[in-house]
Order: sequence, then C-alpha cells, then structure tokens
Amino acid sequence: MNTRTGRRRPLEGLRVADFSWVWAGPFCTLQLAHLGAEVIRVETGSRACVTRMLPPWPDFAPGVNRSGYFNQYNQGKKSLALNLKDARSLEVARDLVRASDVVVENFAAGVMERMGLGWEVCRGLRPDVIMIALSGYGATGPESEFVSYGPAQVPLSGFSSLTGYPEWRPMHVGISYGDPTGGLHGAVAVLAALFHRRRTGEGQYIDLSQWEGTMAMLPEGILSQTMTGTTPGRHGNHDPLWSPHAVYRCAGEDRWLSIVVTDDGEWRTLCSVVDPGLASDPRFATAPSRKHNEPELDAILSAWCAPRSAEATARELQAAGVAAFIVMNAQDLDGDPHLRGRGYFVELPHPEVGVRRHAGIPYRLHGSPVEVRRAAPCLGQDTDDVLRGVLGYDDARIASLRAAGLLE
Amino acid sequence: MSVHPGPRDALEGIRVVECGDFVAPSYATKQLADLGAEVVKIEHPRAGDTARRRGPFAGGVENPDASGLFLYLNTNKRGIAVDLECAPGREILARLSEQADLVLHDVAPAGIKSRGLDADALRARNPRLVVTSISPFGLDGPNRDLRAHDLNLWCAGGLATLNGGGPGSDDLPPLKAFGQQAGFQAGLNAAVASLAALYEGLSSGEGQLVEISAQECITSILEMTYEFFPYMGLVASRLGQKPIQPLDFLECKDGWIFICCVEEHQWQRFIEMIGSPEWASMELFENRMTRAANWDALQIFLNEVTAEYTVAELYHAAQKRRIPFAPVSTMGDLLSSEHLKTRGFFATIPDPDGQPVTMPGAPYRHSATPWRIRRRAPRLGEHTDEVLSEIGYAADDIRRLRTEGVIA
Repeated sequence: MNTRTGRRRPLEGLRVADFSWVWAGPFCTLQLAHLGAEVIRVETGSRACVTRMLPPWPDFAPGVNRSGYFNQYNQGKKSLALNLKDARSLEVARDLVRASDVVVENFAAGVMERMGLGWEVCRGLRPDVIMIALSGYGATGPESEFVSYGPAQVPLSGFSSLTGYPEWRPMHVGISYGDPTGGLHGAVAVLAALFHRRRTGEGQYIDLSQWEGTMAMLPEGILSQTMTGTTPGRHGNHDPLWSPHAVYRCAGEDRWLSIVVTDDGEWRTLCSVVDPGLASDPRFATAPSRKHNEPELDAILSAWCAPRSAEATARELQAAGVAAFIVMNAQDLDGDPHLRGRGYFVELPHPEVGVRRHAGIPYRLHGSPVEVRRAAPCLGQDTDDVLRGVLGYDDARIASLRAAGLLE
Repeated sequence: MSVHPGPRDALEGIRVVECGDFVAPSYATKQLADLGAEVVKIEHPRAGDTARRRGPFAGGVENPDASGLFLYLNTNKRGIAVDLECAPGREILARLSEQADLVLHDVAPAGIKSRGLDADALRARNPRLVVTSISPFGLDGPNRDLRAHDLNLWCAGGLATLNGGGPGSDDLPPLKAFGQQAGFQAGLNAAVASLAALYEGLSSGEGQLVEISAQECITSILEMTYEFFPYMGLVASRLGQKPIQPLDFLECKDGWIFICCVEEHQWQRFIEMIGSPEWASMELFENRMTRAANWDALQIFLNEVTAEYTVAELYHAAQKRRIPFAPVSTMGDLLSSEHLKTRGFFATIPDPDGQPVTMPGAPYRHSATPWRIRRRAPRLGEHTDEVLSEIGYAADDIRRLRTEGVIA
C-alpha cells in the first residue's frame, strides 16, 4: 500500500503461475510483478532457466543464483522448485493452477499439453483462469512446433532484411527483440483479459506469437510492400524523409553523437551552432534538398563532430534546441545523473550477489505504488512458503514431496 | 437475435482521449482501441499527425488521409481536429476529459500546462481520470526538457551501441533498428501502465497520473548487456567478435539465412544434415567458442554449403531436425508465408477512399474477446462534429469554432 495515498498496487491480490523461461515469458511476468501481482516461477533444477546459466556473474564465478541476466528479469518474483520431469509433480503444479488467476508459459506449441497442463486442463482446474502462451510461432499453423531462439526471431520477423546498409549483408538489431516485445504485448493482453474477467467472471486463453508481435512493430516495411510493391531497403541510420538523421563519430574511443533534424526550423537551429553560413546554402534549404544532398551534409557534420567531445557537443546543441544525444553505453547509463536522479535503478539485497544495480521500471504511477519489492529469487527460495501458504500443504506432505525428490 | 453473455470486446466501454503525435501515443491507444476501447484522437486542425505525412502512399501519391503508417496506427479510433493552443480548444479537451477514463498524451513537459493537459487540473473536474504522459526523458530529472527523436532515444537508452559493427566493420557507427522502434516501445509501456492504472481505478474509484520515460523503456530491454557493468565491470559493445558461433547470416541461392547452433547437439545434427564434411572434424571447430574464434575460416566452408540450398530448403531441413535456423524474411516472404496465412495474421482494411490496405493484424489472440477491426483510421477531423455534439456543443457553436480556426 502507498503510505501517502493509502492506495493498493494495481494488481495486488492476483496470483500468477509462471511456467515460462528465458526472456519473453519472464519479461511479461516481470511487468505483472512490477504492478503488484504475486508471481510464482515454477522452476525445475535439472532444467533451470537458460538465463540462470548465462553471464554476467560477479567475480567470473558462475552459479544458478548469480546471473545478472536472470536477476534482471525476475526481480520481485518468487521461485517454487518443482521437478516437472517427474510426472508425480503434476499434482502440485495443478494445485498451483487452481490457486492462480493467470497462467503464463512460453514453450513451443504442444509442450504444456504433453506435460498435462494444457488450456483445457487448466480451465477445468480453475474455470475463470486466464492463460497466455507466448510461443515463437504461435499455437496454431503449419510451423507452430518449429524451434524458436531469440536471436533467430529478429531475421524471421523481417527486421534484419530492413536493418543495416545497402549492398551489405542483413544485420541484427542488437538484442533478441522479439522477446521483450512479446512480453510487453503479452502484458497488455493479460490486463485486457483481467478487465473482461472482472466484468463477466469469464477467463480465457491468449495465443501470442512472438513473430507476430514483432511484425506489429514493422508496419512501414509491410505497408511499403502492400501499398507500393517495393521494400524500403536498408539505409543505416538514415530516414526516408528527414536529414540529417545520423550518428557521427566524436573525439575519444568509440564516442558518438546522434543528430536528428525533422523540419526547417530545427535545421536553422542546427546551423546556428555548426556554421551560420549553412543556413543560406541552397543545397540544404528544404527537407527534400537536404535529403537529396545527404552525403555532402553528412560529410560536413562528420568533419564538424570528429574533433569535438560528444558530451559537450550534445549539451551545446541541446541548449540551442537541437535533438542531439550521445550514444550511451552501459557505463554511461550506470553513472547517468538523470537516470540516477529519477531513481530509475533498483538496488536490493540478494543473498548470493549482494547489492547490485539493476535496470528499473520505465513507468511510474503517481497514485498507487509500482515498485520492485525484492531482488530476484534464488532457485527454490520460496518453495516451502508457497506450498504451505498458497497451497495449504502441511509439513508432513511437504516432507514426503521432498523425500520423493519432487522439490528440486 | 443472438445473445452475448457479456461484452464482446475486452475493453468495451472504456473511454480514451489521445492528444498525441506520431508513433508512441498512437501505438499505445491502438492497443486499447483494437481491444474495444472508445478512443477519440485529437489532432491539430492544420498540421495533423506526423504519421499522415510519412506514408507509404499507394502509387507514391501523397495523401494525408491515406498514409499507410497513419492508417495502421489509428485503427478503431475516431478523429477530431482541435487547436489546443487556444482557450476554446482547451475547453473542448476539458469537456471530453470529464467523460473519459483515460487521457493519454506526449506533450513535452514544458508544454503540458499550456495545452490544458495538467493532470491535477483535469482530475479536479474528473477525479476518476487517469492521465498518461509519454515524454523522452520523463517528467523530472535534469534531462526532462531535452529534445529527442526516435534515433536519439535508441542511442540514449543504450541500444544503438550494441549493434552495427563486428569483425571487419568496426568503423561503422552504432546502428538503429528499422523504423520508429523507440516509439513502439514507449507506446507498449504506456499501454501496460495505463491499463494497470485503469484496473486499479475499478477498485479505488480514483484516477492518477501515469508517467512514461521513453529512454527508460529502451534501457529496460538491453537483454543482459547492462548487467555486465554492475556485475563484472565490463561494458558490452558491438565491436569485436561474438563469443559463440554459428549465430550469423549466410547467403543461400536465393537470399539469406540466419544459422543458429547455440547448443552442441544442434551443431552435431547440422553437420550430419550436410553430410558430415571433412572440415567439420577440424580441431578449430571443436566447440562453439572455437567456432567463434575461427569464424573467418568456418564461414568460408559454411558459405559453400549454404550456396547449394535455397533459403526455404535449408530452413525446413534444419527445423525438421530441431535446429533453430530462420530465414531472413523479406516483406514479400512474410506476406506469402503459409504459416501466417493459416493463422490469418494480416488484416485488410479499406482506406478512407475505400481502397483495401493490407497491414499487420493482431499481435495476440484472445479466445473470448478477440482483437478486431470495427472501423478504419479517421480522416483529419472526420468526427469533429459528431464528438462535439455528443459533449453538448450546438450546431451554431461548432460552426463558429470552425470559422475561428479552433476546430476543423
């Protein structure tokens, strides 16, 4: 509860059974955890989340609880260790579904059904449950059982064919873009389903394809094909209409500055800083002429930026009103007075990695609290609490499950 | 007559006013509109939304009512044209807000009050109102008034530094992904946070201010790269070689494929699939790390192999063996994909002149309350008279406001 306003977290009182792993599903449930839901990750130790096995690890020492990747995207969640490879654990998983408002998974199509936790089973256990599957290809269609890896989703979705340079190979976008995009679309879809349930008492199944979620953010490419029969092609950082629209090298090691001008007013402002004489240069007088003479324009700005400090130049351009910003790397972000001043980063104690800085929440609700309440869980950290407190199991039952090797 | 057990659309009855321009606010309210919310979009009477000028345009002929990007981003919305720079225009916004559940805008922090979008003032007239602000850097902090377009935000959030270089091309600048991706990310986060605030309002009966920083939206999706700094003191970058291979683009007979063998068993199945050539047993290519270190050599061998296949042959052969390859889809490939056709992903919607336009469809599929198109995107000011009369303006008032240039 927000002590100042006395209001509850938006999703307080809702429970999420989280069977997802890697990034897309966990990014969806991260939003639900931020918003106040109790998110319980079901984890099998012998098949732990891929991100638990990946770096970064403090002191270069690996460990399932030490990965910055896992700890970033599982902030605020609980962990129930359950050996899903053993069919006897199914009863526990089903009890958790019975006790949950939302079930989340992101396996390939058919996997949850084979585990005995498909949609028909889940709605039988809990008639008003909302279940979302965030698979790579979607739950139906001829390729629904194809294997999907994050880095391969970017070319599959069409992004690589449009990212990069003319006469150059296709390129990546820098991250497994389909994952967070799928996770956020998934959070929208679950919230909408919660409205419907609130008004009708009815749950539902949501089929989310990461491929489709990513194409939803590619309309200019797809529409170019359907409306003009052409593809936009690869043009680096350039824009089809606006120029300058690029990233220029500055002094120092790998320091760069982005500058964007979208109209004549912004152009005159840029000229006032770079070279007032440019404002009357007919080659650059209008947006079409700037675009037409873009190579010359880029050459002038590249030469102007090359000996200059990226930070100081960004400040000078911004003071005049030009949209300019340096290319931030992790160290720049980490020390950024703006992000720090806004309290964006999250630093909470974790039993194995201590207090580390993590990326925080990009949205703020000024009335009801939205915050990270605890660091990411160690594997199985909440097993006993969930079995006792959520599922109502007594000590004898928990001990026998443990003796049978099901709580690993 | 058919009887529905409840609302047909998840967000039926939720009233939204959007005072936004271009991708971020439009994509946020598109999420809500496509799930059933009643969205009224306010545009400037003369300028209109930036997306109206961006195209693509059928036949290459500019037409602000039929720009592809605008048609996509504004499905299911009504559109009114009101000048918020003058008092009578702001009064229209205030009256609309009295009957709304959500007002969502992307006005720069310094201009919020003068456009009549101050959350406290709006909520004084309607305490249940949620007011969502999207801005480049948030509503406080030293950078709050800086200017930024999409490319600047991709750089400011820490994503551009991750892409664009690599062995042999380290001189290339940090590179953005195709399109207006910072806008899409901010829009998705705004939809999540707005829905959460509206959901909380169902219990508390109160609205609140919701704040989105587009920069933070990007910093929140850096995969594991940011954490390398607080966990290990390392700064992730696009420069240098990848830690593991193959995870790269190779050319086939008729296009490009992304080959992806993250796990050893995937590599072994791939080698078997291509007939276990002699080079595959060289010590240089013993594991995924040495395959990365010797990628220059390995690439030469692999190129000879991939050049023998079409993209579709190699993709399907690999997937049949559960190796997660993906085609580098062109826009044409996406539009002709049997999988996407079977799932009915693309939506065909008439433009205001009745010409059909094929665009991306549902990013998620709800079983009970499916995403659906109820109306095409509006012409500039198409619903001005209709909406103004709904909030009590008489025909004479509307005529006068139009003559004065307040509305269009």
